[in-house]
Amino acid sequence: MERRDFLKISAAAGATAALEGCGNPDHQLIRFVPEEDLIPGLATWKPSICTLCPAGCGLSVRVMPGDAEVVRKGQLGLLKMGLAKKLEGNPAHPINRGKLCPRGQAGLQVTYHPDRLKGPLVRTGRRGSGQFREVSWDDAIQQLVSHLSDLQESKSEGRLAFVTAPLRGQRKMIIDTFAASFKRSMAVEFAFFDDSVIRSANAASFGHALPPTVDMGESNYVISFGADFLGTWNSPVAQSLGFGQMRKGRPGERGKFVQFEPRISQTGASADEWIPVEPGAEGMLALSLAHVIIAEKQRPAAAAGHAGSLVEGWSQGLTDFAPEKIAAQIGVKPETIRRIAREAAAHDPAVALIGDAAVAHTNGLFNALAVNALNALLGSVGKPGGVLFGPVPAAKQPAASLESWAAQVNSGAAAVEVLLLYNANPVFAAPAVWGVHAALDKIPFIASFGSFIDETSALADLILPDHSALESWLEDTPVSGSGKVVVSVAPPTMNPLHNTRAMPDVLLEVAHRLGGESAKALPWKTYDEAIQASFAALYKEMGSKTAKDAEEFWKKAQEQGGWWSAEESRVTPVSGSSAGAAVKNSAPRFDGNPSEYPYYFLPFASQLFYDGSLAHLPWMQEAPDPLSTVMWGAWVEINPRTAEKLAIKQGDLVEVASPHGKLEAPALVTPGIAPDVIAMPVGQGHENFTRYATGRGANPISILSSATVEGTGSLAWAATRVTLSSVGQGKLILFGGSLSENPPELKHR
Amino acid sequence: MVVLGWVLKEKGLPAQRADGSPQAASSDVFTPAHPTIADAIREFFDLRPKPVQPIAYTHKVHLGNGMQCTDCHVGVDQGPDARIPSVNFCMTCHQVIATDKPEIRKLAAYRARGEDIPWQRVYGFEPSAHVKFNHAPHIRAGVDCSVCHGDMRQQTVAERKVDHTMGFCIACHQQKNAPLDCVTCHF
Amino acid sequence: MARQWGMAIDLDRCTGCEACVVACHAENNISTVGEEQAAIGRAKHWIRVERYYEGEFPDVTVKFMPVLCQQCDAAPCEPVCPTFASYHTSEGLNGQVYNRCIGTRYCANACPYTVRFFNFYNPIWEKPLQLQLNPDVSIRSVGTMEKCMFCVQRIKAGEIQAAAEKHELRDGEIQPACVQSCPTRAMVFGDLSDPESEVSRWAGSSRATKLLGELGTRPKVTYLQRDSWHGSEDA
Repeated sequence: MERRDFLKISAAAGATAALEGCGNPDHQLIRFVPEEDLIPGLATWKPSICTLCPAGCGLSVRVMPGDAEVVRKGQLGLLKMGLAKKLEGNPAHPINRGKLCPRGQAGLQVTYHPDRLKGPLVRTGRRGSGQFREVSWDDAIQQLVSHLSDLQESKSEGRLAFVTAPLRGQRKMIIDTFAASFKRSMAVEFAFFDDSVIRSANAASFGHALPPTVDMGESNYVISFGADFLGTWNSPVAQSLGFGQMRKGRPGERGKFVQFEPRISQTGASADEWIPVEPGAEGMLALSLAHVIIAEKQRPAAAAGHAGSLVEGWSQGLTDFAPEKIAAQIGVKPETIRRIAREAAAHDPAVALIGDAAVAHTNGLFNALAVNALNALLGSVGKPGGVLFGPVPAAKQPAASLESWAAQVNSGAAAVEVLLLYNANPVFAAPAVWGVHAALDKIPFIASFGSFIDETSALADLILPDHSALESWLEDTPVSGSGKVVVSVAPPTMNPLHNTRAMPDVLLEVAHRLGGESAKALPWKTYDEAIQASFAALYKEMGSKTAKDAEEFWKKAQEQGGWWSAEESRVTPVSGSSAGAAVKNSAPRFDGNPSEYPYYFLPFASQLFYDGSLAHLPWMQEAPDPLSTVMWGAWVEINPRTAEKLAIKQGDLVEVASPHGKLEAPALVTPGIAPDVIAMPVGQGHENFTRYATGRGANPISILSSATVEGTGSLAWAATRVTLSSVGQGKLILFGGSLSENPPELKHR
Repeated sequence: MVVLGWVLKEKGLPAQRADGSPQAASSDVFTPAHPTIADAIREFFDLRPKPVQPIAYTHKVHLGNGMQCTDCHVGVDQGPDARIPSVNFCMTCHQVIATDKPEIRKLAAYRARGEDIPWQRVYGFEPSAHVKFNHAPHIRAGVDCSVCHGDMRQQTVAERKVDHTMGFCIACHQQKNAPLDCVTCHF
Repeated sequence: MARQWGMAIDLDRCTGCEACVVACHAENNISTVGEEQAAIGRAKHWIRVERYYEGEFPDVTVKFMPVLCQQCDAAPCEPVCPTFASYHTSEGLNGQVYNRCIGTRYCANACPYTVRFFNFYNPIWEKPLQLQLNPDVSIRSVGTMEKCMFCVQRIKAGEIQAAAEKHELRDGEIQPACVQSCPTRAMVFGDLSDPESEVSRWAGSSRATKLLGELGTRPKVTYLQRDSWHGSEDA
């Protein structure tokens, strides 16, 4: 019998550490003197910030005293300390107003994860062998300093590269400033799901390189082109609050919601009408709706202003997009297009959204511009019930995309000496064809600030583990989700459990030890000093009705979780950049010829794992996926007719092959997907990411082509075609039963 | 029978891990399972060994000197638990009071080592009773500490003088018209 | 009149996001059973999101329904328990008294909603995940049933706090974890015996239904059926 099985049945055969029942202090771990003044059993609530997706929701954290096993001066013992026990939305925070999504709820498991790195590590074996030894912080920082000072002094072409997730606020400022203090350094931001296409489109159409904030609570008609706005897209909690309000929050009124997408997403499942559309045809569909509205004189073409003028043929009424002309190409019936267009025009305020796969085709930018023009035509831009843009300064575009960076390293065009990694796992989350792994192999020294070993940090030579978010000073400036100006800030909710250090503090110390340019550019000793300085500047700029000086302003901001403006400001869109000629209609192009690769491949963000960065949390592995109820695994969604044609039954192991690779996962047969589309959640398929996620399922990103979105260069992750075949028996763990309330197998009763 | 015999022989984790490093003082999982069969049997019969206190703290002396229960047992009127103070709290007085006594020397030694005193629980419910006792409503209702804990002014080293059987609690609840619903305490 | 706790869930707002599912795990010390046990149906989701598909491609609709213990006033699980571990509390909940439970599982057998979960093994938390555990909620051991009790620990704490502050409990002051987290505000909790409470008002809606009400269980969760758009009439 396995030890684990024995444990589960009755007695744990184990030492009796910390077991009060035995009553003898000699059999117990020693107890350290508490470092905080705590009353057992009493909870305090502290503000914090959720960092698990770009929305930037505010948290309220319940902190209670508890006994933690910690190491002090090399000795293991018990320490009574404040422990975060439960996360809730911060009721005062303008983005999420007291509510929280399932991923936010699971954030606790990041702090208490058994595989969290407990202190700095230095590689001992071959790179990637997983062999590390513990070192002190002083040694670790000194190692990093020595590699970086070599870089600053060397006359070679060697450079510093810093690869991170897209960042905001003071954290981004510190990283950017640090990197910039090295000549020819490369700051690269990467996330598989990013909003660069939408930002480019909004910059062109409306003059704001920002994702939209949707005032859905006041809308009467919402059309979404593929955006999973209730699940994973943009600011899901803020959008969900608006959705609830739109549906049933206004007595006597109920808005309508239509979702156009080839596979029913979790959001599409809540639509009044889910209408499938050919992949990549979303822009044409939007223009067809616009054509009907203009042709039937519901709105004048000129109402779309500059956003309309960006679309070729707009002022002539988009006659090429008459429903009958394009219905077959886009897969939507002409009478449906006409009806939806009439309904939207007649039910003001009407608003359109686009996101996810619809902007991840090669014509994604065109699709987004088309939807922007439709919005402008409907009159929803900058108006209640429509889209508005938060009064936030838009982020500067990062210097290099990860794809071009990897290409430069691989070709030798950029000789990177030192690579710093923070909050990014590109070996997992970037397509294999980008060659990120090979690029890392070429770099002599890699240091990671990550809290876990993952596919990318496993290749590091030095690991300087960051605190978990709940143990850190946090600040954020959300870019969407509220019409108010929001600057969040929160002190740590609890002391660190392990021998970790806040990444910005480590960078500041490295800069200080390096001296020279780096030290000059980063004068603060700690991260919270830098945040406080930014709040002093904020106070000067904004003033305050309730705080009499910068000191009090800072104190109050920490108590409530940030500062936000009292009023919402609806920024009027200005005419965007007149970027040359209007963007032509472009049909999407797909990688893989249709005869060999008959199906469109559609990866989608998982409600639980997001982009795979949360697959290591056991609550997320065991929570059933909302539409499929799958637990602890990955799956491939197939239409029933397609499954029958290919002799694939539910649960069969299928091989999905693209021109760039193949993977295997069990089949899930579902009516909510077009017959020529295959869909797969992103998030599983980790080769090395803690005990809960390693070796589980398959990673759809690994077989994607490197096709890009025209006009932005970002990855067109919906542009790959695949073929499909059954290869055996798979394992599908479902929590739910039949898909249907009236399963056919019960009908004979 | 073979399984039973095997089960009874299981003693504990080996002293060394596979790579030769010493076993950590505690196991790597948290579970309500009992550490040994013997422990499970003891809990079933509510046989608790007499706790061995690291320092011979005497309530008699401190209460005799005019201290109140809540001077040390902070929080008993605010929440479920009565705090046992940390060594720092004791030393606020004992860095000057009775510093020559051997027990006080032990106290100072703990503080010097950065260790807190490992007080052993005297009153408490077995985990399998699933009781969530909350001090605060009782204190607010005017229940004196001695009702449940005995007259501490007569005690030197703390001992369990009152048996907290369910009957003990129910009798008082019935008398005082306090809630008798099971989920009042068991949840 | 004594409080009668109840809940109402508006299916026109619910988006199936499962914030309620994860919030419940976090609040109530529900252990993760792992892949093998989940595969044989032993995952313990005290609240779950049911989803039903209707129609064939391309005319597909999906319905979500969060299902949790209905705290039935005529609960089928109560008469079958030999030890009165499953009983009806004075405030209308179906209580599960862990220390009485001897693990016959008759209650789960009787429950038509499949909302009762058995601990086939002692739960395990790989350290230090156990530091997240809520001290206000029991840790159940092997051989006991567990299920939703409308976060009775929050109800108790709220009642004690209100008594200490000497005021009446306000409607909406106590929220179970699921209700608190729901991003669309689809769930409401309160006192059904108070006709002015929000839950009573929602329960009086024309869309109000009861899940499997025809079985006579008298559940205390009211589901407001998804509405349809009426705008086409006034286009």
